[in-house]
Amino acid sequence: MDITPPLESRNEVGMTRNAELKNGSNDAEASSEIPAEPAPLVLSAVNSDSPVEFERLDSRVVGLWRLTHAILMGFLLLAIAVGGVFVGLAAGGLWPIVLGVWLLLAGLSVWLCAWYPRRAYAAWGYRIDAKVLETRSGILVRVTRLLPLPRLQHVDLQRGPFERAFGLASLILHTAGTREAVLVIPGLDADHAVRLRDHLVKIGGDDAV
Amino acid sequence: MPSDEPPGQDTPDPSHHRPDADPMILPVMLAPIAASDLANPPARPLVLTPELEGRLHPLTLLFAGWNAVRGFLIPVIALFLFGKPTVAGVLLLFPLAITVFIGMVRYFTFWYRIEGRELVTRQGILERTERHIPLERVQDIRIEQGPLHRILGVADVYVETAGGKGPEASFSVLSRREADRLRCTVFEPAMATATPVSGEAVAVPASAPASPILVRKLRTRELVLAGLTSNRMASALVAFAVIWGLADNVLPDDVYERIGKWAFRVAEFVMEQETGQAVLLVSVGCIFVLLFCTCFSVVGSVVLFHGFTLSRIAEDLHRSYGLLTHRSSSLPRRRIQVLEIEEGFLRRMFGLATLRADTAGAGADERGQSRGGRDVLLPIVYQSEVAGLVPVFLPDLDSSDPAWRRVSRKAIRRGTIKGAFLCGLFAAGAILFHRSWIGLWPILLLPAVYAVNVMQYNHLGYSLVERYFRTRRGWLSRSTHVVPIRNTQAIVLRETPFDRRLGLATLFVDSAGQTYTGGGPRITNLPADEARDLARSLAHQASQTRYRW
Repeated sequence: MDITPPLESRNEVGMTRNAELKNGSNDAEASSEIPAEPAPLVLSAVNSDSPVEFERLDSRVVGLWRLTHAILMGFLLLAIAVGGVFVGLAAGGLWPIVLGVWLLLAGLSVWLCAWYPRRAYAAWGYRIDAKVLETRSGILVRVTRLLPLPRLQHVDLQRGPFERAFGLASLILHTAGTREAVLVIPGLDADHAVRLRDHLVKIGGDDAV
Repeated sequence: MPSDEPPGQDTPDPSHHRPDADPMILPVMLAPIAASDLANPPARPLVLTPELEGRLHPLTLLFAGWNAVRGFLIPVIALFLFGKPTVAGVLLLFPLAITVFIGMVRYFTFWYRIEGRELVTRQGILERTERHIPLERVQDIRIEQGPLHRILGVADVYVETAGGKGPEASFSVLSRREADRLRCTVFEPAMATATPVSGEAVAVPASAPASPILVRKLRTRELVLAGLTSNRMASALVAFAVIWGLADNVLPDDVYERIGKWAFRVAEFVMEQETGQAVLLVSVGCIFVLLFCTCFSVVGSVVLFHGFTLSRIAEDLHRSYGLLTHRSSSLPRRRIQVLEIEEGFLRRMFGLATLRADTAGAGADERGQSRGGRDVLLPIVYQSEVAGLVPVFLPDLDSSDPAWRRVSRKAIRRGTIKGAFLCGLFAAGAILFHRSWIGLWPILLLPAVYAVNVMQYNHLGYSLVERYFRTRRGWLSRSTHVVPIRNTQAIVLRETPFDRRLGLATLFVDSAGQTYTGGGPRITNLPADEARDLARSLAHQASQTRYRW
């Protein structure tokens, strides 16, 4: 699956000044506390007519997540199993509880390995619209992060051993912010990650601090 | 006390800027350092004449010792009193010896200068650290003087930049004159005549040294009001706990026994009374504790902020305050990342507010520590003044009350359901407790819950104007955040499963430094589509601006 986006074409997205937000319902709700007609929300440089489609991660990331989750949960299950044997030897009455917890965790691991990676992959997306990087992720709690690229401080390209085995890489984007100062895009094709990094830095421009 | 403050210390006295008038540099003292500069002699280009150069004040040693001893003082005195002078002596001498040694090393090796729009500090014998801080990056210079500092005419100076945690350079101690000179040199680009660096876009107009414009002075009456309305009741109890903890180490063992017996006697006495009298006694006790906390809070507020003055010199904001420890700080106003107008419950009732501001990197790791009033820009101010004061901090902001846009009306339903759920839980608990239908009383609170939610909704809003994003939330206690769009670092939308079912989202704007303003602008219960458009609009506007620290 070749997902290399034609990055340069992204910049053609226009800087059209959009009119105003559809705000009919809000105006109707305004009462005496807040003036009935708030100033129209001016949206600048948002091309809401034909927004850029979200890019997906590399599909190999599903396999990577399956592997890493399997390893992690495998260790945990092993540890609990060993501990459980000792508990069972020491106090025989406790073994049903230990077995129950172990089975629960085993079920969770199966879910984490079989079902979760595919869903997480489907939920993940990123796009570059003009000078803004937007990512979305999360199955239960959906999180959308928007990063104005001139705020980019530096970009890390990270390739762990498993990522290398899958030919993948992660981009770690740093801003000067506080709580959301780090934005991670996992599971990118290694070559694509390099190109994406260079592209992001280029768009970010000379907002030197 | 205020009479011994140097008059007009925020005024840059032109006579302080002469580089040759430096009484602190003694050639004799520089000699041993030059000898120890074995491999790496101080690189002092002869071409550049440093604008300012200096070393620590000789009293550094005294203050190093004092700082070491201060922490041990109470236990040591207690030990003397309880007749263990040997232990006290060891406890006192050991840290004293170490810190005096460190202080000596520091005093004899520390050296700083300002040259070519850079502040250079150097210290250490074996491991020499030389630090270059471009003056454009300096966020804040704080000058702090405790009572002892003031008697001896010296000050602690802290230079803050956006990076890292805590001050980038700290000078402990400098003479007061030298501290003022340092601050004036850093904050006045007009002084940069020696080495104008090409291409430096200094936002501050390089005009002649402007005279300070007084923004706001706080009178003692207002500080008392601040103390009465602050939520420092809790900190009074914390202080009490700390004192207790200190005392615990040194008090004789039977103290607890005695206190316990005394408490038991009091309790017994209370129990012996009739019910009415017992209630009276307990309430008198509560009132006493409350009064104690209030007094503590008022005294704390007055001592901390005594003589609070906020003034502006060109683009820099200067604050100076303090009865015992005198503090002053200078902050270029373009460094303000987020401004918060905080109206706590009591303050809101009395028409008062607090202004807070965050700068990048300020106090990232000092949660829970005493901040010495650094967390507030203006500790107390009348609400009617706020609109007039905000442009002082954010000059291009239209300070009139903006047209607040509301969130989705579903917020009311949501909040009421949450409240009803809580009421239900309480009712269930009460029924179990009373074993009677009287336990259903929490259900009667439901109308109030609904009313509160309606009011909360009426006061929850945001406003996006040309260069600023503002959010406002809270009815009983309210907090308004103003963030310049150029300071926006990232925008995050969050949709929980409950949000998604109602088609709502929470929007959060991240900026550098959100220590003092309670976590930055956040707006809940936005319709998801509107939230998305708003987030994109904010991000695109931000991407067309330049961010400057």
